[in-house]
Amino acid sequence: MQTRLFLAAAGIFILASAAPVVAHHAFTSEFDGTKPVTLKGTVTKMEWINPHAWLHIDVKGPDGKVVAWMIEGGAPNALLRRGWNKNSIPPGTQVTVVGFRAKDGSNRANGREATLANGQKLFLGSSGTGAPADGRDPSEKK
Amino acid sequence: MRIRGFVSLAIATIVISACAPVAGGEKPAGTDGAGPATKWTPSRTPDGQPDIQGIWTNYTNTPFEVFDEKDQPGLYAGDPDGTGRGTGPGFINDSFERKLSKGRSLVVDPPNGRVPIMPWAEEKRNYRLGHIQDDWVNFTPWERCITRGVPGGLFPTGYGSGYQILQGPGYVAIVYEMIHEARMIPVDGRRHVGSGIRLWNGDSRGHWEGNTLVVDITNYNDKGNIATNAASQRVRSIPQSEDLHAVERFTRVDENTINYEVVVDDPKVFTAPWKLAMSLNREPQYQLFEYACHEGNLAVPNTLSAGRAKDKAAARAGTQ
Repeated sequence: MQTRLFLAAAGIFILASAAPVVAHHAFTSEFDGTKPVTLKGTVTKMEWINPHAWLHIDVKGPDGKVVAWMIEGGAPNALLRRGWNKNSIPPGTQVTVVGFRAKDGSNRANGREATLANGQKLFLGSSGTGAPADGRDPSEKK
Repeated sequence: MRIRGFVSLAIATIVISACAPVAGGEKPAGTDGAGPATKWTPSRTPDGQPDIQGIWTNYTNTPFEVFDEKDQPGLYAGDPDGTGRGTGPGFINDSFERKLSKGRSLVVDPPNGRVPIMPWAEEKRNYRLGHIQDDWVNFTPWERCITRGVPGGLFPTGYGSGYQILQGPGYVAIVYEMIHEARMIPVDGRRHVGSGIRLWNGDSRGHWEGNTLVVDITNYNDKGNIATNAASQRVRSIPQSEDLHAVERFTRVDENTINYEVVVDDPKVFTAPWKLAMSLNREPQYQLFEYACHEGNLAVPNTLSAGRAKDKAAARAGTQ
């Protein structure tokens, strides 16, 4: 138990000390900084693909209908360096994601932050090339 | 099992925390690397080359160019609408607690720290960056996962600025973390390939001048960009012509530092040659990760689909 607590603390330390992720492509060509979105759902898979990782979640709407969303994150190597690994959010994990919607209106978003059920926050951001400042990127505090 | 996990994470914590402050402190203008030569002598590889092998990084807070009030950092970062926060001179790297150097500019010649770009090339860049949703040809080769170019592959970016240099008989090889490239530089005296052969990254031929590796690069195609990432500011998306000629110089000046310089001459694109200088910093504990860019590059179709959605919305507005 103590070890588990230490792991959590160490993980938070790594995440807190991480610097911003910078994207391979321009944020505003694909996503709309005026359309923030909060999605609460269940992880179906995490694609560790380059140049950007994609988190897939099922989101149940008010009508009970489940809609699949794709959330873009940073590059796998950048996420790994900021403390993510393949076990961070396995399928079935309940997660709340905040981000910005795709400009083409599809169910995709640029992820800023994923919050787990235990309150742990994971910075997803591929923000350096232009996502609006919203206080979630550690670099904004510098 | 838990203990093993504890040890692994503790090691990861130490490694991340210890990511070397290898290039610390403020440096005067134009000295991001390119320091004075020292009497330090590199060891030799078995075939007699000065040994420049190892893992190197070049994360830096030094801007690519000296900023000018007329610059449009939002546009260069792909944010012509100004809805994001852009980059520009305040660009912050994915530094992971490194203490980064900050000089005036990586461009050291001309002395004003500005790349002498011809107006037509700036207009072409502006069009491409402003119409990226219209056509895939407007993307930089990096966004298309083709290449960051040569010498552009060594221009610092926000993440993945790691390089491994390997040497074998007659060759120097550079493995770029970004984006999956392995560059072979013959140093056996062979000539450039024939003028009919045109390459995205040109044809590199190296030779040693004392302890300095000098690499001559010709035979470029006219499809690439001299720089591709937003940290390159105004030079991002500037085209290269078949007349591009670059000369790089790698000089290992101590155990932990390679002074790198490149002179870029492209008479169809620039009004004069220009020079960039920086240091490559040895970081043996840094791990180069795979960056198989093509495996999931959804940025291109998603950006184009955003453009088509914009077109439809404009068409609807026009018919109302």
